[in-house]
Amino acid sequence: MKRILSLICCLSVMASAFAGCGSKPAESTSSAQASPSSAPADSQAAPEEEAPAESAAGGEITVMVPPWAEPSQELLDSFTAESGIKVVMNIVGWDDIRNKISIAAVGQTAPADVVEVDWSWVGEFGATGWMEPIEMPQEEKDGMPTVQSFIYGDEVLALPYANDFRLAYYNTEHFSQAGVDAAPQNWDETIAACKKIKEAGICEYPLSFTLSATEAATTSLLWMTLSKYGDFFNDDFSVNKDNVLGALTFLNSLVNEEKLIDPASQNMKDIEVYGKLTAGAASFMVGPTYFIGLINNPEESQVVGKAAATLVPGNGTIKTATFALPEGVGIPKYSENKEAARKFIDWYTSPDIQVKMYGEKGNIPTRTVALQQLIDNGTIEGGDVLIEQSDYISAPFPGGIPEWYPEMSNTIYNSVNQMVQGALTPEQAYENIASRVEELRQ
Amino acid sequence: MKKKRNVLPYAMLIPGSVLMIALVFYPIIVTFYYSLQHMKLTAPQDNRFVGLQNYQKILSDSSFWYSLQNSMVILVVVVVLTAVVGLAIALLLNVDSKLNGVLTAIAIIPWALPPIVNGVMWRWIFHPSFGFLNRLLLRLDLVEQPVQWLNSRWSIMLIASLVVAWRNIPFCAVVTLSSLQAIPRQIYESAVIDGSGTWQTFKHITLPLLVPSFGIVLTSTSINAINVFDEIVSLSGYGDMSKNLMIDAYLRTFSFLDYGVGSALTYIIMILAGILGLIYIRNVYREVSYL
Repeated sequence: MKRILSLICCLSVMASAFAGCGSKPAESTSSAQASPSSAPADSQAAPEEEAPAESAAGGEITVMVPPWAEPSQELLDSFTAESGIKVVMNIVGWDDIRNKISIAAVGQTAPADVVEVDWSWVGEFGATGWMEPIEMPQEEKDGMPTVQSFIYGDEVLALPYANDFRLAYYNTEHFSQAGVDAAPQNWDETIAACKKIKEAGICEYPLSFTLSATEAATTSLLWMTLSKYGDFFNDDFSVNKDNVLGALTFLNSLVNEEKLIDPASQNMKDIEVYGKLTAGAASFMVGPTYFIGLINNPEESQVVGKAAATLVPGNGTIKTATFALPEGVGIPKYSENKEAARKFIDWYTSPDIQVKMYGEKGNIPTRTVALQQLIDNGTIEGGDVLIEQSDYISAPFPGGIPEWYPEMSNTIYNSVNQMVQGALTPEQAYENIASRVEELRQ
Repeated sequence: MKKKRNVLPYAMLIPGSVLMIALVFYPIIVTFYYSLQHMKLTAPQDNRFVGLQNYQKILSDSSFWYSLQNSMVILVVVVVLTAVVGLAIALLLNVDSKLNGVLTAIAIIPWALPPIVNGVMWRWIFHPSFGFLNRLLLRLDLVEQPVQWLNSRWSIMLIASLVVAWRNIPFCAVVTLSSLQAIPRQIYESAVIDGSGTWQTFKHITLPLLVPSFGIVLTSTSINAINVFDEIVSLSGYGDMSKNLMIDAYLRTFSFLDYGVGSALTYIIMILAGILGLIYIRNVYREVSYL
């Protein structure tokens, strides 16, 4: 009897273990749908056997985005009120989101129903088929120009929510104290002004530049090359030696010879480096567009009224240059709530919410109508600079973002980081980059 | 007379076996299968069997040897630091005192911290610009400029080792302390009667009797040191300069989406950790004699 009882206990434990492992995701979805009290009455009244696995008029979705894309609870509540869909925000560091998406996709699951999609991930997400294509009429595309960065083949993989490109910012007080009253027009003027600021003891490291072994160092080298020397790549996607070697040599001299850039930047996150300008610890930087609002936000900036935006410096025939680094939101292929996720994306990227998100997070709208509204009513200070800079946006990659972008970027940022630390010469850094690109092209 | 077979022990083994098969053996077999494939997720049409080519590719890649060097440096420094400091703390806690319980509880805190929290905390200590250590040194006028702790390969290795050792020392101290307390007092009393001094007693009695537990502790520490990931990422990110084998495997697998090569590298790490694990198991079953 004792043995029989033990056997029964053992089998019960096994059965409960299997039951726990075997619960279908669809079941948890339907239970989640039933829970929100705000769900419309008709969906609750629907017969159980006819209830779909997902419902656009209710349910719960998860959204995985970085901190700067998180809407306030008030905004989320307004979405829930109008759609019946409850949103659970999963705020994750930007660097980690891509890896979470890829790890989940290998296991044929989705890390969330809506996920961040950076412009630089489009090549590989397109090649792997991990994102659900988003249907979008042509007229809507026309009103959202940066959506082009999220098109792979003919498919839109994500809708952009933040219209990011690089813009220059400078501390007007530092510049005027050093006897420079006008914004620098090119790199020579910029460096001359920074030297004056340093020599006058106003700021020890006037130039703020991301140098850590992270993606930000890659994009920095890309815009630095574009704005001072020209194209990074030749038409056949090989690396342009003159331009890239020129940019690397220039950058190395700014760190190790002129000492205009803080060596601590070699191991600081990009947001910490950009924050040096808003903390008054740097005089000039080229950074994300959302800083146009941030520099004059008293809650975020210590240089309110003392900093302004200007065009990224050019050189010779290049008046200025920049390239788009928009961020978007998309739906993973393995999401089980695609319809609700699409509703959220439509809401999140609508003109009205983009205007509100600018107020909350400083994200520059991607819909032309929303951007124009903010500039027209004077909400975006320095909007004329923003508009002028956007005329100079160019695509650094001939033929679109390659699927091997992460590998190339890894080599670029490591080469830059090791060069400024003195482990590589600019020539060796260039060779690393050029040979790696050549290898990946093959 | 036919002996009745007792099925209960076998039935009791089933749940554990199922879990082991699902969570250990199946991934091991699948990873090995992947390691023999050309399997790049961005080129799914190009998946094919390549035999041991992925292993060959890794072993001929200088990046692997660089990462291995970093892993070995961390391993050696962590093992030495853990052994010396762990033993010292165990000896201190072995002294009869009313504070022993409290001190043991305090000593165990670093072990209880998740590795990522440990790493982030130490990053704020060694932050190149506004870290606690730089602030302290500047305030005491010991330096004129913030020290760039994380700007060279060897300083990152040293700091990462320190951080990993800090997490492992409590385990070492507690296990060593329990071994110390298990040594019969009569042995020490006999040694005193025979005229043995403190150092001689420690060298010829305490230390030899600690060897088995020390073996367990150090092998476990070695495995932790080889598998260190979170602390390095928190301190210096995924940069080439500080990458060890785990970060290398992570980058190849999840950043470059090369599951074939990534799996092969994972297997190599598993073999290295397995060798250390073998030593661990041998130490567990080693007989201890106090007489």
